[in-house]
Parts: sequence; structure tokens; C-alpha cells
Amino acid sequence: MSQFNSRFYDFNVYPDSSNSVTELAFEAKRYGYCGIAVVNSAKPGEDKLPVDFSIYRSIGISGKPSRLREEIKKHKGTEAILTVFGGDEELNRAAVETEGLDILLQPAQFNNVLAKAASDNSVAIGFNLGSLIRLRGEARVRELMIMRENLKHARKYDLFMILTSNAHSIYDFRSPREMAAIAGLFGMSKEEAVDAMSAAPLEILRRKNPDYIQEGIEII
Amino acid sequence: MKIKTLPTLRDKKRYLAIEVTAEQTINRQQLFNELLESVASLFGDKGISEINPKLMSYDGRFGIIRCTREKTQETRAALACINNIRRIRVSILVLGISGTIKGATEKFIQQTLIKESEPEKKE
Repeated sequence: MSQFNSRFYDFNVYPDSSNSVTELAFEAKRYGYCGIAVVNSAKPGEDKLPVDFSIYRSIGISGKPSRLREEIKKHKGTEAILTVFGGDEELNRAAVETEGLDILLQPAQFNNVLAKAASDNSVAIGFNLGSLIRLRGEARVRELMIMRENLKHARKYDLFMILTSNAHSIYDFRSPREMAAIAGLFGMSKEEAVDAMSAAPLEILRRKNPDYIQEGIEII
Repeated sequence: MKIKTLPTLRDKKRYLAIEVTAEQTINRQQLFNELLESVASLFGDKGISEINPKLMSYDGRFGIIRCTREKTQETRAALACINNIRRIRVSILVLGISGTIKGATEKFIQQTLIKESEPEKKE
């Protein structure tokens, strides 16, 4: 299966007290990733990282919808990847309607209006597979139903999809093939899953590049 | 005497070479029970009968799991959904899939061991 030869990225890693960023980086490398984005924590020095591996900084934003807009505007234009943890409709709306946001993770009650806005502001929809790994029973059923719904809207409006493990420790990583298998549980095809782990993150990185101005414009 | 199944009627199988990372060593019985529980929770009793999972060998770190040929994706998903065994945090990495036990051992488990020992040789 040659489709699994691309470069894979996990854009939602939360280092906690048990493991350092360096440890997480080595573990991610072993599982076949080329880069991770750590949320709300500092990047370690280049010399402490495995070869051919990159770490990006990400800012996780949460809070009230009004605060959300301010926060996004504040961090817009920096190299950090902006992620909002989806919640109810009001929060999701504030997130997708603010320009500059990169990822809206696991929004509940997502609808076609929000999907249209997300498509206009090129916000990617994140699927938090960590919840499927950690939860059991009824709670997991609920998460699967949310993901099924989100996938439907993402397909219809051609949104970028991101698969994340939401790893807190070294035991939370899963290799890209396993991630694709879990994504298959809510109907995502293998090709879409591969794109969600390699093409979509690369697209976000391309937009974060200082040389990037606007879609369709470049300095020659 | 048990009559042998005709080769054409036999279930086609696949063998998954796995590597278990855990806080403490997990024994064979615990791993197999957790695997069955995970498959049951994801796909139900019907799923178990279709996937027909079996732990062929396990040495505390590497193992080989058998499943039916058509259900490798489901088996992968069930393996990935295992995150703790009796409060011990674990993570299972599928090294590769093969049609024979020999193939799974030689191509994936031994290769991983060789890869690990190589950097030490250079020093």
C-alpha cells in the first residue's frame, strides 16, 4: 500500500507532566510520523529532536465565543497553528466566522451554515480520534455519531479534514494505518484518512509560511 | 477422527505482527482478554465470530494475532482502541500483516530487532 508512504503529521499533541516534548517526539517518530504540533507548550531545542522530524507550535483556544474572536485575532499572522475545541453551536459559529483560525476540533451540532462559513474562511475540521480510543460504550457512540455528521458536511463543502490523536502521553499515539482504520469506523475512506494526516496539515503549514500572502497571490 | 476441511473451504487468514508498549509487562491472558473485549465493544458478538481473533504467540513485547483475511481493517481498529489493560496504560503498534506466521515473524518482528541493534553497531 503505497498510499502510506507520505509524510504524516499529528497536529494536536498535549504534553503533560508525565512525558517531555522530546520523549513524545521520539515516540511519534517510532510510530511513523514526520512532525507533531504541541498545544500550548514550548518547542525544545533542535538538537534534542530525532532526525528528520519537526515540531510546530500550536495554540489551543477555548472560552466564551466573544473572547474567542479576540484571541484568534491576537494570534492571527503568527506561525502558531490555531486550534479551537468545538462545543455548542454558538461557539462553533464564532470560531468558523473568524478569519485566521486553522482547525476547529470535533464540533458538535455542526450544520450546513457553519460548514459554508468554514469553507469560506478555510478552516479545517478536526476529528479527535483520541476520544474513540479512550471512551467506551455510550460515550463512544455519541462521539461516533458527531464524527459521522461532521464527515457528511466536510464532504459536501469540500472542507479540509484533520485526524488527530489528541495524545497526552506516549501511550496515546497510534500509527497512521491504525488511525485510518479507526477513521473507517465512522465511514471515512482510506484515501481521505491519508489526506487528513498528510495533505491537509501540509496545506496549513503552507499557509503559515511567511511568504504566503493570500490564495492565488505569490511573489515572483 | 476429525475430517480435515477441504483447502478451498478453509477460512483465509492473515497474521498481524504487533509490538506492545506498556508501563508494566502484560501477560498473555490479559492481552487476549482485552483484545476480545475491545472487539466485542466495537463490533459485538457477530463481529467476534467474523473476525475470529486469536493470539498465536506473545513474548511480553512482540506478538502475532490471527484474524480472517477480509477483516484486517476491523482488527486494526480494535487493536488501536486498546488503551489500558487493568489500569496499566498500553499502546499496540501493528508492525505489519502477512499471510503466514513465518512471514510475519521474519519480515516484521526480526526486522524490527535488527533495526534496533544497528545504531549500536555503528558506535
